[in-house]
Amino acid sequence: MDLIRHLQCFVAVAEESHFGRAAQRLGMAQPPLSQRIQRLERELGVRLFERTSRQVTITKGGTLLLDEAREILARSEALMATARRIREGRSGLLRAALPPDLAAGTVAAILAGFQRQHGGVELELHELPTADQLAGLASHDLDVGLLRHPCDVAGLELGPVLRHELGVLLPRHAPAARSGTVPLTALTGYDLILFPRAQAPAVHDDLLTTCARHGYTPAAVRHGQGPSFTRGLILSSRAVAFGPRDAHPGQDPDITWRPLAGAPLTLRHSAAWPKGRGDAAALAFADTVTDALAATATAGDLPPSPLHLRPAAEYWI
Amino acid sequence: MTETPARTRGRIRAAFTEAGVTGWLHAADIDSGAQLDVGADQPVVTASVHKLCVLVALHQQAEEGLLDLSEQTVCPPPGRTPGPTGLAAMLDEVRLSLRDAAYLMMAVSDNTAADLLLRRVGLDAVNHTTRRLGLTRTHAVHTFGDFLALLKEDTGPGGPQALTDPRVVAGLRVLDPAATNRSTPRDMTRLLGAIWRDEACAPEYAASMRRLLGLQVWPHRLASGFPFDDVHVAGKTGSLPTVRNEVGVVEYPDGGRYAVAVFTRASSPAAVLPPADAVIGTTARIAVDALRARTT
Repeated sequence: MDLIRHLQCFVAVAEESHFGRAAQRLGMAQPPLSQRIQRLERELGVRLFERTSRQVTITKGGTLLLDEAREILARSEALMATARRIREGRSGLLRAALPPDLAAGTVAAILAGFQRQHGGVELELHELPTADQLAGLASHDLDVGLLRHPCDVAGLELGPVLRHELGVLLPRHAPAARSGTVPLTALTGYDLILFPRAQAPAVHDDLLTTCARHGYTPAAVRHGQGPSFTRGLILSSRAVAFGPRDAHPGQDPDITWRPLAGAPLTLRHSAAWPKGRGDAAALAFADTVTDALAATATAGDLPPSPLHLRPAAEYWI
Repeated sequence: MTETPARTRGRIRAAFTEAGVTGWLHAADIDSGAQLDVGADQPVVTASVHKLCVLVALHQQAEEGLLDLSEQTVCPPPGRTPGPTGLAAMLDEVRLSLRDAAYLMMAVSDNTAADLLLRRVGLDAVNHTTRRLGLTRTHAVHTFGDFLALLKEDTGPGGPQALTDPRVVAGLRVLDPAATNRSTPRDMTRLLGAIWRDEACAPEYAASMRRLLGLQVWPHRLASGFPFDDVHVAGKTGSLPTVRNEVGVVEYPDGGRYAVAVFTRASSPAAVLPPADAVIGTTARIAVDALRARTT
């Protein structure tokens, strides 16, 4: 018996609750589908569905087996993906992506680490913002990426989430730069330089919401992210930018980096790959990225803050 | 420039993106059948939108004489399905009629009232109702209590704060249409059309369902797109972490009536996200305006 094929039939019937629709989804006729389900039931010695004249309902036993069936199908897809890569490339090709403006040292550490462990795999590395990575992962044009959170994680598996506290880049002689840490309220009157929203809309909005929550609502948001562009705006037009400590070259004579009081802003990253397609090379890349980021990440979990669900939320946890 | 359907769809997609959500919409003129489809056949998690299916099953059973809508029922405090509104939020024993429980279920999305009615009509009857109306992609697999228990189990002991962790959100089974109560935007406008054309039930029962849908209190989603005193909006919302839905009917004084179903998933797990609520109204309005422009 071809277990994988039979499990595909089982999961399709369970999800559609209907033999006709499941057959349509699998691109097969209904009679052979019914036969496969019966064959699988015999093989497992468990009745999977109750059939009445009009409907199909999954049995308790079927429900207990469904998760494991899904898991086996996902692992089998990952195996096929690896095989496809080995078949297509000399010794395999991994299509991976990193976000723009990642610190140069981190990128170097990722490349060196991956080559050391997986020299046999050819790495095709792209510089892509989160939104483009999500599109690439969904269309299977990317095997693994490094996402900034929050973003829409439907259909993905994620590695550990690492966070980097953000500080502020401001003119060295700005009054706010005089203290060791800068409260967000002290930035009032400065415009904010921020990456273009389309790159990671939820991260963009989340940063602005957190700024507002802590008393800083910039009069204007100037979209840009190149280091020269950012430096030019900071020096000439009363603007500030946020960045992690390691992204700032310390030797700039005109611009300084300060931590924010209470560390209200963080960048959060995690490796991500399509659910069920995490083969050995993708997982190795995810591990390497996680290790490289961990070297500069803030230790520990986010400090807990209250979350008040309002009645319009409808759900209750 | 003329407003082609492709252009309308483009504007709706742009509005979803601007609001930080992925969205699927179906809008239909209830009388002419003219429609607009932006991912109308996407399987979606219904969440509390499924209370609309419970409402229809309840009224069909009343019409068949299986129950009396004025029948009294007692709802004791223990064992109530949790929720922030209605009976779910009350502390003492309540005695009320089935139709008043239906009012709470629709007006404030009362989870306790919904499960009270669902127990009375049966999950199978709800699925039988939707199937009989031709909603082949709509299915309820659990009660609202079981649904919330699954959400709680996957969220873990940390409570709602745990939802700030992307790994927790990625693992929520209630966000997988294959694993929970589900439908499609097209199925939902079909159901609303059947209610508004008196096809789901006899006219008197259909009228009481329309009345209840018109009593929903929430102003922030579908209704926000129609800030006009002479336009009537009736609907039912559904929400989960990252999920914001509403299906409803918009009626104009010239007799035009439009069924709209909008299902969204936000990129951010934030509980308070006003643009993600408002975009349901914004996109519904773009769709209804386009349908109205075709007939004038």
